[in-house]
Amino acid sequence: MRRRLSTEPERTEINVSPLIDLVFILLIFFIVATSFVNEVGITPKHKDTASSSSNLEEPLAFDLPASGQLLQDGMVIGLEQVAPLVRSNTADKAPSVLVRVSPGARAGLATQVMDQAMLAGAQAVKLSPLAQ
Amino acid sequence: MRARNRLIETTDTDAINVSPLIDVVFILLIFFIVSATFVTLPGVEVTRPQAVTGKALEKNAVIFALSADNEIKYAGSTVQLEEIPGLVEQASKDKGKPVVIQVDQWADASMLAKMVAQARKKSIDVSIATRKPRA
Repeated sequence: MRRRLSTEPERTEINVSPLIDLVFILLIFFIVATSFVNEVGITPKHKDTASSSSNLEEPLAFDLPASGQLLQDGMVIGLEQVAPLVRSNTADKAPSVLVRVSPGARAGLATQVMDQAMLAGAQAVKLSPLAQ
Repeated sequence: MRARNRLIETTDTDAINVSPLIDVVFILLIFFIVSATFVTLPGVEVTRPQAVTGKALEKNAVIFALSADNEIKYAGSTVQLEEIPGLVEQASKDKGKPVVIQVDQWADASMLAKMVAQARKKSIDVSIATRKPRA
């Protein structure tokens, strides 16, 4: 009786320990669940064929047959020749490039061709699969 | 006066003041809640092709992977080509999330082209993950 009387006016604080426990658990959950995905990549944009103005001129086409070569207009070229070809073919405006891939061609090579074309300033790069 | 104060302090409030600690923890908690983007990873590690024009991509994206043995991976399982538009729509929830395709450089290019075509049905922004070439 005497004891309660003596403690009551002083101990009016809320016990925050469960709150802290909960907040710590939430904090640890979010630290663990946060995945910082830092991806770099290329975004080949191309106009959809609905607009009729885009097919006025023939896009510069590169072919990737299953043999692993890179062809442009029937001739075997190297990867380093892609950028000059794109630049020279359409000097005045933003060129569009078509990359036609056959089954069996490497995705790495196709990506590198697109990369080189975009390096040369190609605005629209389309990747299209060829049938067998 | 001073002696009396000290006496009270040592007898009654002998607990550590935790309010600043709680403040800091709350701030950390809010930071992690805000920065949390729950992306579902494809669950396969691929060798990305090298590209010089690679730019940093949107973090909050729908990620697909094309492994070296030409399997399409999404959220840890193998999916079919025809399932891609549905999965993109489901994951994007009308918010128009971009799509990122992690492609192995030894994978089939026509498969990649088909994946890009499928993903473009539901998303305007389809990217191919690359890596920076070593200088």
